[in-house]
Amino acid sequence: MDTLLGDDILDMIEIKNLGFSYQEDGVALSDVSFNVEKGEWLTILGHNGSGKSTLSKLLVGLLRPSSGTITVDGQVLGEESVYDIRKKIGIVFQNPDNQFVGVTVKDDIAFGLENLQIPRDEMVKRIDEYANRVDMADFLEKEPQALSGGQKQRVAIAGILAMKTDVIIFDEATSMLDPKGRKTILKYIQKLNEEGVTVITITHDMRESVLSDRILVLKNGEVLKIGPTKDILLDKETLESSNLELLLPLEVMHTLEQKNITHPKLKEFLWQLSLNT
Amino acid sequence: MAIKFEHVSFQYKSIDNKGYLALDDVNVVIENTGEFITLIGETGSGKSTLVQHMNALLTPSKGSMNILGVKISSTAKENKDVQFNPIRKQVGLVFQFPEYQLFEETVEKDIMFGPKNFGVSESEAKKRAREAINIVGLDDSYLSRSPFNLSGGEKKRVSIAGILAMEPDILILDEPTSGLDPRGRDALLEVFYQIHTSLNKTVLIITHDMNTVYEYAKRVLVMREGALVYDGDPVKLFSRKNIDNWNLDVPDIIQLKDALESNFHLDMSGTIRNKKALLKRLEEVLS
Amino acid sequence: MKVVIGRYVPGSGFFYSMDPRTKIIALILLMIATFLIDSFALMLGAIGLIVLLMMAGRIGIKRVYLGLRPLMFLLIFTFVFQILFNRQGEILLSRTVYYSFLSLALAVGLVVFWFFTKKFTRFKLFYFVIMVAGLYAIFTEIGNVSPFATGTLAIYEEGLSMAAFIMLRLIIIVTLSTILTITTKPTDLNLGLEHVLKPLKIFRINTEDIAMIISISLRYIPTLLDEANKIMLAQASRGVDFKEGKLKDKVMQIVSLLVPMFIISFKRSDELANAMEARSFTPGATRTRLHQLSWKRLDSVAIGIAFLALSLSIVLRISPWI
Ligand SMILES: Nc1ncnc2c1ncn2[C@@H]1O[C@H](COP(=O)(O)OP(=O)(O)OP(=O)(O)O)[C@@H](O)[C@H]1O
Ligand SMILES: Nc1ncnc2c1ncn2[C@@H]1O[C@H](COP(=O)(O)OP(=O)(O)OP(=O)(O)O)[C@@H](O)[C@H]1O
Ligand SMILES: [Mg+2]
Ligand SMILES: [Mg+2]
Repeated sequence: MDTLLGDDILDMIEIKNLGFSYQEDGVALSDVSFNVEKGEWLTILGHNGSGKSTLSKLLVGLLRPSSGTITVDGQVLGEESVYDIRKKIGIVFQNPDNQFVGVTVKDDIAFGLENLQIPRDEMVKRIDEYANRVDMADFLEKEPQALSGGQKQRVAIAGILAMKTDVIIFDEATSMLDPKGRKTILKYIQKLNEEGVTVITITHDMRESVLSDRILVLKNGEVLKIGPTKDILLDKETLESSNLELLLPLEVMHTLEQKNITHPKLKEFLWQLSLNT
Repeated sequence: MAIKFEHVSFQYKSIDNKGYLALDDVNVVIENTGEFITLIGETGSGKSTLVQHMNALLTPSKGSMNILGVKISSTAKENKDVQFNPIRKQVGLVFQFPEYQLFEETVEKDIMFGPKNFGVSESEAKKRAREAINIVGLDDSYLSRSPFNLSGGEKKRVSIAGILAMEPDILILDEPTSGLDPRGRDALLEVFYQIHTSLNKTVLIITHDMNTVYEYAKRVLVMREGALVYDGDPVKLFSRKNIDNWNLDVPDIIQLKDALESNFHLDMSGTIRNKKALLKRLEEVLS
Repeated sequence: MKVVIGRYVPGSGFFYSMDPRTKIIALILLMIATFLIDSFALMLGAIGLIVLLMMAGRIGIKRVYLGLRPLMFLLIFTFVFQILFNRQGEILLSRTVYYSFLSLALAVGLVVFWFFTKKFTRFKLFYFVIMVAGLYAIFTEIGNVSPFATGTLAIYEEGLSMAAFIMLRLIIIVTLSTILTITTKPTDLNLGLEHVLKPLKIFRINTEDIAMIISISLRYIPTLLDEANKIMLAQASRGVDFKEGKLKDKVMQIVSLLVPMFIISFKRSDELANAMEARSFTPGATRTRLHQLSWKRLDSVAIGIAFLALSLSIVLRISPWI
């Protein structure tokens, strides 16, 4: 019981020496260790095929680690605990098609709630609330297959948000949304996080990482770097070595520094601008 | 010869006969050479539906289209004798979801599928597969893998390779850069641009990334609720007030340019449409 | 290409407002009744009643026909099989069949001609009957030119009536099931099944899981058809022309559709399982339900009628004066 006391209680997720491979040869993840604090927002970045989605599936017990351990809220993830842990973690898949269970949008949002044994009245209320939140209230009776790409992503997000889990993982969940829709969802994620939900966002869009507390950069299945968002945002070398980029204002800042053009007020201005994208 | 839409409307049929009007009286002409177009618009505005008409995967419910000299109308009877294959050979379409496009056992077979069907020899198709996979930024080892066991971004790249290998005259890509890492996105946009400039081909890209629109497009189409609401120059588009109504956004470059202009009174006038030009100008005005 | 089996079609009418339990139980009762009926007149009467019911419930005949269509081959096969091989009862027709070069050549020619021209006619069934009549004429009349073998085509009373019976039964059963799946959302069907199966609990059978398995399988049929459609679109856009091509090409096309279908259906079922688990689905655990069942007067009436129909068919079956 010692482990439940002390600092550990602050960690929502603790990952130690995690390794995974899909086949005999070829390693998808190796020796990954990091933790996510309760109420933290962590961004995971990395090149295509760096292991982001694999990591997220391991976290909810859809894949089994080849080595290492995952602890969620003090509970070690294993055969027995997996069902408990899934009640705490919601995940929006990278491909929304892989997520749909219900025959209509309404049934699909309901599916997770039914599993959590939410009473019917509450369920009806939540379906309404979250369908509106993602602007899909007019589509409740449609089949998920008969939606556009962005509409599918919205429904997938609503299905998870409605479950109100302690942790939510978004695996490139806004990649097909229009700019306005993307901003709305991000604002809402921020609000949730402020209310205490632990958030993990996987993305390729640097602008989405700005609001998070920390950034984890993966490369070839290993942790390249993890640190406070501000540090990583400025770390051109780390970002570029995993096929990422600097935010535009920071790129400008970097170039000016390289050319020895100093302009203190401009520097501060660019920094502020990058935080507001 | 071009792709010409005349009053095209399209209704998705559902089995209960309550259709959904996804295209509403669209008129547009796209030249078969020399265009670089981006198609943008809010979620569910009909972009994917529109481009599926361009290679006749869907045919209009109302109105008619003329694709490279082949007339396609709204009645099955009149379309009976239409040869679809030549159209699909010339107009290559990359789907929004790579999962909708990949079906072969290996990546190599999948990329070779198109070329082989259009009469390219086995050995030539193999050669093209190798080239295409490298163009999209994956190495040869991927050729023997199953397209289903790849990461999201890798699938996207393979689906693009499958169409590039067909070497179509008109290349249409439905959100080709969603899910790609930033370097992959830039590299592939550069590839599409090269295809456009060096071979004078027409390229049409659907995207939600305003930076892509501003940096590359010569012409931009905006859709809203099934209708085409803007067809013209991207620079003009972003200076209009109603981009907010269309759920669009101002490209990063313009935002930065405007902020620098108004806060530091730096001269940012003229055409600055990409990072390079912006950095060059800044250097000039600051040193 | 939309196939209807297993697919819910939104709509209104009293079938939609019925409790799924009612529909399932009524379906079972009526199916038993169909098997008990042994007179032609009653069978036709039953069909008439079903059509009336469908009209009252505002279900288009065409939709049900679409549900029957994939089974057309099976229907015709059983019909022909029964006619040709059931040799009981009085002989209704007996003709000599002539196998000659002429008759075989003509027959093949006719079938091929029918196969390639049938898509141009709107009356496919009628056209098919004409073809069959043509074959009959060829083998029994026209082909009598130096035959190298002869045979007899004999149709017996029992054969004909059995054939007709089996066909009508199949039609009724498929029609009734189609009405059930068209008008019941898979979630409701699941719920209904769960309740109807509940008595099996005494035998320590996990009825919730069985209900889930049945409704997932039902839900899976349209999913697979959608997948097939997706692959066809993917292939069409890369140069497969499903509209044209010789027979050999067609066979190749079907093969190249089947292989990925096989792989993808495995993949899809895996993904579906993942999707369910990721959203806290726990096998055997209790779940709350969005859709609640409510028993209405309509349901009592419907069940009453179904019982009545069953009792009537039992009485008619065992009563001596029919
Ligand atoms: N089902 C699978 N079978 C075998 N290998 C796989 C499978 N899924 C992914 N991989 C491989 O594992 C590695 C990590 O994949 P993963 O999907 O985690 O990447 P990712 O970081 O999410 O990439 P992306 O940004 O493209 O989504 C990749 O090299 C990929 O090819
Ligand atoms: N198979 C279908 N059946 C019925 N309606 C459909 C189908 N596919 C799309 N729709 C509807 O048609 C409209 C246009 O869809 P389309 O996929 O063309 O949008 P889009 O502009 O590509 O959107 P996105 O940016 O989200 O991909 C949407 O409102 C969608 O709900
Ligand atoms: Mg991924
Ligand atoms: Mg789309």
